[in-house]
Amino acid sequence: MSELSVNHLLGIKYLNKQDIQLIFETADHFKEVINRPIKKVPSLRDITIANLFFENSTRTKLSFELAEKRLSADVLNFSSSQSSVKKGETLIDTVNNILSMKVDMVVMRHPNPGAGVFLSKHVKASIINAGDGAHEHPTQALLDSYSIREKLGDVSGKKVVIVGDILHSRVALSNIFALRLQGAQVMVCGPKTLLPKYIDKLGVKVETNLLKALNWCDVANMLRVQNERMDISYFPSTREYTQQFGVNKELLDSLNKEIIIMHPGPINRGVEITSDVADSKQSIILDQVQNGVAIRMAVIYLLASKIKQ
Amino acid sequence: MNILIKSATILDSKSEFHNTTQDLLVENGVITQIASNIKNPKNYREIAFENLHISQGWFDSSVCFGEPGFEERDTIKNGLKTAAASGFTAVAMNANSNPVIDSNSDITFVNSKGAHHPVTLLPIGALTECSKGEHLAELFDMNTAGAVAFYDYKKPINNPNLLKIALQYASNFGGLVCSFPQENNIAGHGVMNEHITSTTLGLKGIPALAEELQVARDLFLLEYAGGKLHIPTISTAKSVALIREAKKKKLDVTCSVAIHNLYFTDAVLTDFNTHFKVLPPLRIQSDVDVLIEAVKDGTIDMVTSDHNPMDIEHKKIEFDHAAFGTIGLESAFAALQTIFTTKKTIDVLTRGKSRFGLEQTPINIGNKLNITLFNPDLRYTFSAKHILSKSKNAIFENTSLKGSVYGIISNNQMALNN
Repeated sequence: MSELSVNHLLGIKYLNKQDIQLIFETADHFKEVINRPIKKVPSLRDITIANLFFENSTRTKLSFELAEKRLSADVLNFSSSQSSVKKGETLIDTVNNILSMKVDMVVMRHPNPGAGVFLSKHVKASIINAGDGAHEHPTQALLDSYSIREKLGDVSGKKVVIVGDILHSRVALSNIFALRLQGAQVMVCGPKTLLPKYIDKLGVKVETNLLKALNWCDVANMLRVQNERMDISYFPSTREYTQQFGVNKELLDSLNKEIIIMHPGPINRGVEITSDVADSKQSIILDQVQNGVAIRMAVIYLLASKIKQ
Repeated sequence: MNILIKSATILDSKSEFHNTTQDLLVENGVITQIASNIKNPKNYREIAFENLHISQGWFDSSVCFGEPGFEERDTIKNGLKTAAASGFTAVAMNANSNPVIDSNSDITFVNSKGAHHPVTLLPIGALTECSKGEHLAELFDMNTAGAVAFYDYKKPINNPNLLKIALQYASNFGGLVCSFPQENNIAGHGVMNEHITSTTLGLKGIPALAEELQVARDLFLLEYAGGKLHIPTISTAKSVALIREAKKKKLDVTCSVAIHNLYFTDAVLTDFNTHFKVLPPLRIQSDVDVLIEAVKDGTIDMVTSDHNPMDIEHKKIEFDHAAFGTIGLESAFAALQTIFTTKKTIDVLTRGKSRFGLEQTPINIGNKLNITLFNPDLRYTFSAKHILSKSKNAIFENTSLKGSVYGIISNNQMALNN
C-alpha cells in the first residue's frame, strides 16, 4: 500500500495501522533528506499550502512551515490569536476566502475540538489538523511514536506513561490512540482532577503515583500544565504539582531502569521536569523536534499525492 | 363546523369506542354521533384517509417559536402551523424570546398571536425577570393573563432560596413552577454528556451528576416549601430514581423527557454534528433504557419534542460555539413510534394536559371534537422535505421513522395536511 486511507489528517483515530507505517517509512526518507547538505526536494512545487493558526503556536507552526518549504510548496501564513467568531466572521468564511486564492491544503490549529472535522465537511481542500482544542494533535503523536521507534526499535509492546494534564491535552489523546494502534501499553498519570473521569475506557491504565508510573514504563512523556485552558483551579499551587508530578534527576536515578524522557514542548523547566532531566542523555526532546519536520513532510507529501490523483 | 369522519380507528382509552373503527358525525364542532356507518345527513364535508386513526389531540409541554425577537428562527404563526401539521392540538410555548415573556402584557401579546387557531397556544411566563435568575417576575399577574407555568427556559435557578420562595409564592394561586435540572458549577462549560465519547472527542462534558444534584436539591426544596414543581427534560437514570422516590412521598412533582433523549445516545456525536447538540445532552444507553421504562410506568409524566428552532448561523459553526437545541414537532410522533407501541405513543402524547391547565377531551358523543388524525403504519426516512419550521436544525434528519400525521381538528377548526 502506498497511499493513505484518508484524504485529511484530522486525528489519529481516523487512521489505521498501515497509514502510520506508511507515514513512518516516508518520514524515514525525508529525515535522510533534511540531513543532506541541500535539504530540499522539489516534490510539491505545484502545491499551495495555507497555515491557519487561530491559536498561538511557535514550534508547530515553524515545523510545518519548514516541512512545507523543504518540499518546495508555496506557503501562505495566517495567524489570529482571536477566534474568527469573535471577529464576526465564521470559520468557514475565513477559510473559503483563503481557499479562493487557489490553495490546495490547509494546516489548521484551532481552539475548538472538532474544528478540523467541521472544516473538512464544508470546504474543498485537504485539511491537516495541527491541534484542535483538547481533541487531537495527530502530527505530534506521530512524531512522538516515530521518536520512540527510532530510539527503541519498535513501538509495539513498549510501555509508555503520559504524565500531567491529560484533561486538557490533545497531545495525550492523540498519543493514546497512536500508541494503542501500534500495540504499545499506555498509562496516564496525573492528579485526579486532571484525568478525564472515563479515560480508562480508552484502554489505558490510570495511575496517580508518579514513582509507580515511572517504575512501570519504558518511556515517560511529560506534558505541560495547560494553564491557559483551565477555567478553574485544578490544584492548589504549581509548587504542590511539582512535588507530586515533577520529574527531577534524583527521582530518575532512583528508578530500577533507565527510561526515556519525552516532552512535546514548550517545557516549563522546574515544573514538570527539571533542567538536568530535560538536558540529560535520557531525554529525546530535541530528537522529537527534528523528527517533527520529517513527519510533517511525510504527512503533507502523502496527502498532496492524493490531491494530485 | 359540520363534518362526517369516515372509518376512523379510535385510539382513546377514555372513549367508550376505544379500539374500534367508526364514523363520527360532528355538528357545530360537537360530536353528535359515533357509529359504524353513518349516512351523510346534509351533505357535510366528509373526511376520509387511508388507514385513518384518531385520538384525542396531542399536547407538547415545551416548544419555542422564536417570536418575539428571534423571528429568524421561527414565528408563532409558522410554529402553530408546524404544530398542527405534526398532530398537536395544544402546545406550551417557552418564554425564551427577546424580550423574555415576563409580564402580563407579554403574555397578552402571545395570546393575541395565538388566538383563533386550531392549535391552542399556552404561554409559559418566565419565573424571574428577564430570566436572569435574580428577582421573581410578576407571577400572579401573568397567571391572571393566562400563563400556564413559570420557567426560565433551560436556565437553572442557581439560588436555592429563590426556588423556595417561588414555590411558596406561586402556591397562593396554584402556579406551576418549572426548574431546569442542571447544577451549573458542575456542568461548567460542558457541551455534551461526560462519558467515553466526550473523552474521545476532547469536548467538555456535562456529568450526569450536574442534573442529579439539581433534581435532588429541587425535591428537597419542594418537600420543604410545598407548591407545584415541574422538572422539564430530565435525562439520567438517577433523576428518574429521585423523582420516583419523591412521588412515593406524595410530593407534587411532575417531569418530562425530550423525545430525542429517548432515542439517541451520545455515541452519535462522533463526527461533531451540531444537530445533536442539545440540552440536556444525549446520554448513554443505560440512561435511555431507564428513561423509556419510566415513561412506560408513568414516573416520567410527559414527553416533549423540546422543539427549539435555531437558525443556521447558530448551528453551522464549531461545535463549542453552536447553540443547543433541535426542532422536534415534525418528527415527534413518528420517532416515538419507533420506541413505543402506537397505543403507548398516543398515551404519552396526550398526557400532562391537566398539569398545564388543559381539559381532557375524550372522543365521546356530546363532547367537543379535539382530535389528531394519523396513519400509524407508514414508514419513511425523515428528511429536509418533512421540515416545516423556518429553521432546519432537525436531530432526526436521515432517521428511519414510523407514522404520519393527517392533521388535527380542534377549536372548531380543521388543519389537514394537503
